Order: sequence, then C-alpha cells, then structure tokens
Amino acid sequence: MKKLMIIYVIMTLPAVSAFCAGGEKSKIFTPYFDMVLTEGVYVPSEGNFFSGGEIDTRVGLLAKASEKDSFFGLYSFAYSGPGFNPQDTEQWQDRSLSHGFNIEYRRNLSDKFRIRPGIAYSTEFRRTGSNEAWENGLYNTDSLGGQLAVDYNFDFEKNGMLTFQALYRNIEFPNYTDLLSEFNNASNTAETSGGLQDQKMKQVSLRPGWNNFFGGITYTLQDYENQKVVESNGAYGNTLQENKTTRFDLGFHHTLWIFEMYPVASYTMYRSNQNYMRYKYLGATSTDLTSGSSDVTFVSKSYDYNEIELSVPVDLLLTKTGKWAINGSMSMTKRDYTDRPPRDANNNYDFSKQQNNLLTVLGGGLRKRLNDVSMFRINYSLIIAESNNKFEQYLPYNYTGNSLGISYQLKY
Amino acid sequence: MKKSILSGVFLFCFSGSSFAGFDFESKAQQLLGEILANPSAFFYDFQQDLEGTLPLPPGKAWGLHTGLFPSVIPMGYTNISGKYRLHAEGRMYPGLPQMDLIGGYWDMIWAKLATNQSDDVDKASFNGYYYGFILSSSVSPRIRTFWGYKRSQLKAELKLNKAQDLMGVSVTSFDSGFKDDFLIAGLEHPKGINKFWSIQLNYGLSEKIITTKVCWYGKWFELGLNIYPEGVLVIHPVWNFHLNF
Repeated sequence: MKKLMIIYVIMTLPAVSAFCAGGEKSKIFTPYFDMVLTEGVYVPSEGNFFSGGEIDTRVGLLAKASEKDSFFGLYSFAYSGPGFNPQDTEQWQDRSLSHGFNIEYRRNLSDKFRIRPGIAYSTEFRRTGSNEAWENGLYNTDSLGGQLAVDYNFDFEKNGMLTFQALYRNIEFPNYTDLLSEFNNASNTAETSGGLQDQKMKQVSLRPGWNNFFGGITYTLQDYENQKVVESNGAYGNTLQENKTTRFDLGFHHTLWIFEMYPVASYTMYRSNQNYMRYKYLGATSTDLTSGSSDVTFVSKSYDYNEIELSVPVDLLLTKTGKWAINGSMSMTKRDYTDRPPRDANNNYDFSKQQNNLLTVLGGGLRKRLNDVSMFRINYSLIIAESNNKFEQYLPYNYTGNSLGISYQLKY
Repeated sequence: MKKSILSGVFLFCFSGSSFAGFDFESKAQQLLGEILANPSAFFYDFQQDLEGTLPLPPGKAWGLHTGLFPSVIPMGYTNISGKYRLHAEGRMYPGLPQMDLIGGYWDMIWAKLATNQSDDVDKASFNGYYYGFILSSSVSPRIRTFWGYKRSQLKAELKLNKAQDLMGVSVTSFDSGFKDDFLIAGLEHPKGINKFWSIQLNYGLSEKIITTKVCWYGKWFELGLNIYPEGVLVIHPVWNFHLNF
C-alpha cells in the first residue's frame, strides 16, 4: 500500500504540472509529447521474412521560473527491434531498449545569448533475440554526465541560432567481458576481462541553424579506461584504446510548391588506435600474422573509416492543407575503411584492397495527417546492400531486401 | 491495364533476386517454439488487450468494460473490468488531476471446457487480473494527457495425460505465471461529441514488456491496434465494449 501511495504521489506531480500548463494563459508550464510508432515486415534475399518495430517517445516539461530562468525536463524512451541495418553495425535480430533522463537549466543572459547547463542519465539494454533476458545483454550500458550549451540568436525573424555545446559522459558496460580471453584462460577464475568497454566520452559541437536550414560539426573523443591496444605481435600493449569521431552534417526542411523536402547529408571520420586480430577458429595459432590467409592475422587500424550518409525524403502534397501526401525517399550509407582489407568467403584477407560497404534504400509511400497533432504513414522500401567483403558468416554484407511498414506519429 | 500495372509493381518489388522469401511453415514453427518457451508471456499479451487503461471521459464517474476481440472471440477470455472515478479533475483542488481506479478479471472458458470434456486434458486453467489507477489532466481543450500504474497478473496451467505433438514439438504440461508492474503514459484527443482517439505506452518495470495502444472510441465501442514489439503476435486488432455513466 505504501508502495502504491509513493507511486501515486510521484505520478501526480507531472499530472498537476501538465494541468497548469493548460495554462494557455499562464504558460508557466509547457508540456511536450512526441511519440512515433513504426512496425514493418522485412523480406531478405536470404533467410526467412521477419517483423520488427521502433518506438520513440519523448515526454518533456518546460517550467518557467522567471523571465530569464527556466527548467526543462525530458524523459525519452526508445525501442528498436529487428530490421535491416547498415553493414558492420548490428545484426538483423538485434534489439535495444533505452531510457533517458535529462534536466536542463536555461538562463537568458541577454536578448541574444542563453546558457543551458544540464545533467543526463541513460540506461540501455541490448539483446540479440527475444529469448534473451534484457538484463544480461553484453552491451548493456549506463551513462551519466553533464553538458553545457550556449545559444546565440542572431536572427529572431528567421530563427537564426548558433549553438555551442560541450558534453561529458561516463559510460559503463556492466556485463561486458572479453569472451575470447575467458575461453583462452579457462583456468583463471578471477574476473580479468570485465569493464573493458568502460569509457569516458567527451564531445564538443557547433551547430548553426537559420530559416529551417541546419548543420554542424561534432567532435567526439572516447577514452577507454581498461581496454588496451593490441600490438603487431598479437599481444596487448600498455596503450589504452582511444576513438575519435569527427562529423559534419547539414540539411533543411522546406516546402517548395507542392513538394515538402527534408534532406540531410553527413560525413563522418572515425579513427581509433585499436587494431584487430582475426582468429579463424577457437585456439587458432599462426607464425605469420601479416599473411591474410593465416589462421591468425593482424590488421592494423582495422576500425578506421570515412562514411557518407545521404537521405533525401520528399513528400508530394496532394491537397492544399497537406492532409494527404505521397512520399518518396532515397538514402545511401557509404563506408570506406581506410586500412581494413576485405575478406573472401573463406575468411582470408586481401591486403591489396580496402573494404567498402554501400547500403542504398529506395522508398515510397503514402502519408496522411489525421489532425493537427498526428500523422500516419505507410511505406515500402527496397534495400540493396553491397560490399567487397564476402565473408558473411556472422553479418550479411551483400543482399537485397524489401520492407513494408506502417508508422504513426503523435506530437504535441 | 490496372492488372498489368499491379503486376509490374509486384515484379519490381520482389524481383531482382531470388527470395528465400516466405517460408510460412518454418515461421509457424519458430512462433510455436517461442510460445512454448514462454507460454504465459504469449497469453499475457491477450490479457493486456482486454485491460481498460483509458481514463473515464470527463463527467463520468463509473465505467464497465469488456474485451470482445480477440479476448472473448477467439481466445475465450470471459472478462469484466470496472472503473471508478475517485475525484474529478480540479474538483478538490485546482490543478489536481482526475483519478480513476481500474481493475478487472478474466477466465478462459475454453480451458474449462477442455478440462470437463476432453480425455486428453487433465487440467487446464488460464486466468488473470489487473488493478491500478489512471491520472488524467487536460492540457488544452483538445488534448488530455494521462499517466497511470497497473499491476497485471496471469496464471496459466496445462496438464495433458500424454504428450501431444504440436508441429514437431512435444508438449505434456506447463505451469507458469506472469506478472509485472506497469507504468502507463498516453494522450487523448477528442474528435467530436463522444468520439476520441488515443495513443498510450505501457511499460513493464520488471519484465520490460512494451505495449503500445492506438485506439478510437465512442460511446459504446473501442477499436484499436495493440502493438507488442517483442511479442509472438506483434499486432493485435482489438474490439472492446464499454459503458460509462
């Protein structure tokens, strides 16, 4: 009963706040609700069909304490189910579930400047099938940290804004363990391979936006706390792993005549000091780590890549009010590894080339605005995945897929 | 001409490669395997179909609710739910949300019939209940948000006097239960007099069950789509009856 009372009190608070928000008059509290549901069926060229869905929910509340001070709380819930993914990212059957909490204090320093310090916590669960327990996911994470953002409003009329943000996160992987190390040291009962993915993430970004055009540059640094870099002799050295990601992106959202367009393009450069050892089977050994056909091969800078992403969705408005629209889209993800060679079907590296992956998605469908706050979509997509990497025992690299999905969005 | 265009579209969509495609038999076996691995989770989704987790309409103090499809037909979940408004929005104190108590019970009639009339079934019992509360607040004349909590409990028990082969899987018995504490968040939008549509998310704190419900409802009936992204049957079309007074 006590538990019920506590839950009631906690849940009453946002409800009361939201009521005050009703407050078209007061505007002390302003609620925010955005929920997107997507469910689709996927038909790959190899293997049986499967279904998967996505849920993205954000619930927020802006509380205005004074003319210059306000607080913004945001809870986000995200679920991502089975689906086609770009090569070298996730398997089709991977699922993830996350909760995020963000509290931000906003202070207007002047008409044009505003600062936004904040704290954030998130927890994410991952699993590779519905028969696994969410709690046991190898890549489950807990993340805690803070951020400071500064906004400069340079054009009130056209919403011209320049935002600088510095962000810090302490990310822990409570379940992660190096399975290969555990197998190789089966007699060792001490936990020697845990915490290897734990890391501290620092990120700075500069993002301008004007008249529904937007863009930005983001630099991310991941410092691993325990994971050492594997050296060319096949043993771990003393250097800790460090990843650096630089990303540029730009896009816009405009309606030109009967076309509503929202294209986005991005370019990502990912660099890591980590190298890779490929074992063909458990217990494999080799005297020549530089040979691509050895049972054990050392690949320097195996993770470094440059990636271009381009997405061009267009809605063709069939009615003046935009209630009905036909949509078409083309998206492309092209990843070129700077040093990683491709593998043949027998898991042998070809050191004369670099691996490249291309995922192209062509889509089309129908959109209907149900009312001011909700929208429904039905979409068909043709997915073409290509790569010069032919080793596909664990992840598919070359396939064709079809998907048919429905999506429902509610935003207030 | 129309037929040719349709054929062309179909060929465009499913040509270009040989699709291993739609192997319904292996898919059915996979789904059956998932059901047998955790039968109560499968039946639990149907329990959620009949649960009344919407707030009472403004001005109403009592509500009766029963799930028709897929609850009674074809699942045989005879069920009844009730709602009681503890206080109306803003009546006791300005800003205090409406609070409704909710609860219900169901029992599968097919399980009882099987126990009584089949020689192969020694015992079959499927039933469950739920209770909780819903808080609702108007944030504008056209939007009402709601939050809530519910505890749902299911008990599923089956004992056969000999093993039965279900698509290659041998089944003799299972005895399991399933319960979870859910948080509910949703939004309601009136479309006209006695016409609403709504969207809500139910999240199970222990088992991390995710349910989303999109529904349209009037004075008597409620039509909806319940989505269980991690369930065996992902989308459940739902038809419920309710009476509010």
